Amino acid sequence: MKLKVYRYHEGMAAPRYDTFQLVPSPAMTVLEALFQFQEKLDDSLAFRYSCRGAVCGTCAMLINKVPRLACRTQVESLLKGNLKVAIAPYPAIGETVPWDPEEEVLVEPLPHLPVIRDLIVDMGIFFQYYRFIAPVFRPSDPDPEKERIMDPAAVKKLETYTNCVLCAACHAACPVVGQNPEYLGPAALAKLYRFHVDPRDVEEDSTLKRADIPNGWWACDLYGNCNRVCPKGVPPRTAIEKAVAALNKEKKEA
Amino acid sequence: MIHHYDVLIIGGGLTGLRAALRVSDAGLNGAVVSKVHPLRSHSVAAQGGMNASLGNVKGEDGTKDSWKNHAYDTVKGSDYLADQDAVERLCREAPTAVIELEHMGTVWSRLADGKIAQRPFGGAGFPRTCYAADRTGHNALHTLYEHVSGRQIPVYEEFFVTSLVTKDGRCIGCTALELMTGQVHGFLAKAVLMASGGFGRIFNKSTNALINTGDGPALALRAGALLKDMEFVQFHPTTLYGTNILITEGARGEGGILLNQNGERFMERYAPNSVDLAPRDVVARSIEQEIAEGRGYDGGYVHLDLRHLGAARITERLPGIRQIAIDFAGVDPIQDPVPVQPGQHYSMGGIDADINGATALPGLYAAGECACISVHGANRLGGNSLVETVVFGRLVAEKIIEDVEEMTLANDEPVKAAIKSTNDRIEGILRREGGELVFGIKDVMTNNMSNKFGIFREKQKMREGLDEIKKIQEQVGHVSLQNKERKLNQALIRFLELEGMLLLAEAVARGALAREESRGSHKRTDYPERDDLNFLKHTLVGLRDDTMHVSYKPVTLGVFEPRERVY
Repeated sequence: MKLKVYRYHEGMAAPRYDTFQLVPSPAMTVLEALFQFQEKLDDSLAFRYSCRGAVCGTCAMLINKVPRLACRTQVESLLKGNLKVAIAPYPAIGETVPWDPEEEVLVEPLPHLPVIRDLIVDMGIFFQYYRFIAPVFRPSDPDPEKERIMDPAAVKKLETYTNCVLCAACHAACPVVGQNPEYLGPAALAKLYRFHVDPRDVEEDSTLKRADIPNGWWACDLYGNCNRVCPKGVPPRTAIEKAVAALNKEKKEA
Repeated sequence: MIHHYDVLIIGGGLTGLRAALRVSDAGLNGAVVSKVHPLRSHSVAAQGGMNASLGNVKGEDGTKDSWKNHAYDTVKGSDYLADQDAVERLCREAPTAVIELEHMGTVWSRLADGKIAQRPFGGAGFPRTCYAADRTGHNALHTLYEHVSGRQIPVYEEFFVTSLVTKDGRCIGCTALELMTGQVHGFLAKAVLMASGGFGRIFNKSTNALINTGDGPALALRAGALLKDMEFVQFHPTTLYGTNILITEGARGEGGILLNQNGERFMERYAPNSVDLAPRDVVARSIEQEIAEGRGYDGGYVHLDLRHLGAARITERLPGIRQIAIDFAGVDPIQDPVPVQPGQHYSMGGIDADINGATALPGLYAAGECACISVHGANRLGGNSLVETVVFGRLVAEKIIEDVEEMTLANDEPVKAAIKSTNDRIEGILRREGGELVFGIKDVMTNNMSNKFGIFREKQKMREGLDEIKKIQEQVGHVSLQNKERKLNQALIRFLELEGMLLLAEAVARGALAREESRGSHKRTDYPERDDLNFLKHTLVGLRDDTMHVSYKPVTLGVFEPRERVY
């Protein structure tokens, strides 16, 4: 049971990989394995962490060539081959280093975001696109005294999208993001769609227009990797397809 | 580099962000400093809900809930240690806070009539807990962050606050280490609001995020503020066996039951009326006793059985819980009972703050879990912490807005001096060679806290525990780090956290030893009864000349007379 970890910091000519023999413990997660590495081998290993319970979205990284949350991914399941996710291939998950998937877990930083150190990436561009779509609930009618009434069925539909934890796994898994760094990407678009389907805003809906640009809805090539890697079951590709259909219909009618 | 603001908020969870929005509403220049991105704050993990007497669901006898009912349940739940004026404020403001979030966009779960849904929670006389499935914190935090980010309120992410700066007995700002660069920044402000969360990670079995190291209370204590009621630590009855990830009380609110190894619904013996929905302290002790008396499962856990709720209800109301059980214990609650055990969950104590969030140190305010305004007393009710964050996040911000009106910024000099001494201190730590590694010491501390200051406490064990803490405090002075870099040195952050945690551990220990009674979460086997005559008072801990002193202050009582708690 070994961990093979990507190491890089400023000044290094090229990244290197460190291999670490893990002391096995039951149900050990990749995050726990990284702590073991940090505590037993090298305290300079850098990675982000917070909740360790798959709710905060901090620890997304490329694990065995799939973007996932380190805290939710068990080492043993990976070695047994139980956690394979079939995603469409793209350059950023190509071979970087030889590794034995039956013996080793390969941990690398999320693709498509600049590496700062080891497994820590700069999330700046990811949140820049989040801000670009202006994810703020601003209904056009004045606030009522109490809550706005909502059909429980509509809440269910909305929850599919409010569950996003902004971990950027989808961003890292998207072949289009890899080719076109100006594409808003699946997370921002799914977030925008969440506001589009919020039934509390009863006015003429212009939400979808915010991403009605070449690098918005229209840039998606429907690979669907986003749907497959999301740790919270959010389906950005589905949202994008629906948004595109709605915009096309609107344009036809106009 | 020195930054200047009217109001500086330390912490980017629900309290900090709610306060930041209120400060921005007032047109003041505010900023948030947080050691993580705000969305990674522990608020995001809150599951079950937020208490407010909206009255959307009627009580069993058809009556409607009211803030007074909420206040009564809260005071009784607190074992009468909560300040009743603060509780009244919380409960009166709670419905507004929930509605505000709704207006800002939070997607609350709904009743068939479209109103915000409410469910029963432990220790509550009405179905009062508003929820967004079992992801209430997540939904509320994302909503607030959306507004903070939309208004472009400055957020200093991944900045670890290293000291509070004082001048003439007043807090005028702080220093903070920027993780990515290793640079120490200075912040000068007319008022500082501490909203940095709890200190659960001083215990080894905790539901808390790994970042909950109590940095705020430790900083405040060092700067001259007092800590209050630190011995009152909540142990949640149902944390997942193995990882201690929280399994919400909402699981029992929805009808889940606890079973021991013999398949017996043992809560019927401990709380005949409320059964599985007795308050957390009662249920946690009952489970611990079942395990101690050999009726738990090997390894020390009992079963939380949800199977009778059926697949539809589990997937609709408790989807997050189901996923957690599958991911982290390999158990699907639709098919099998979930193995649970008690674990540290919440810090009732914290920075001593009055009903407006003001602390003993002028210029420093505190709210949320890092504070003890004292709405939870000796035991917090489920659903009351989320509501506390947003109610007092706003109210304390309002007090600050009022107070800073007549204030001017201090000059930069004390902050400059603080930056220099922080740099010296960091360089000193990095220069050290030999000694122990920080990680091992931390494990010794967290084990010590759980073993000696856990659910059942006793003088001799606690004395040993305190001795151990003092010993570790000595050791920490010799700890060295392998990583000597300034930039992105997480080992350094862990060391700085540990120093603060050891202070808090001592405060918990001293408070617990001195309180010779049992009240709420503080259960002494050598003093099994509540003693209102001698201990219906708040514990205060202060630091003078590097020595901790314990003192007391009275509880603000009110219409609810202390009575025996029966559930």
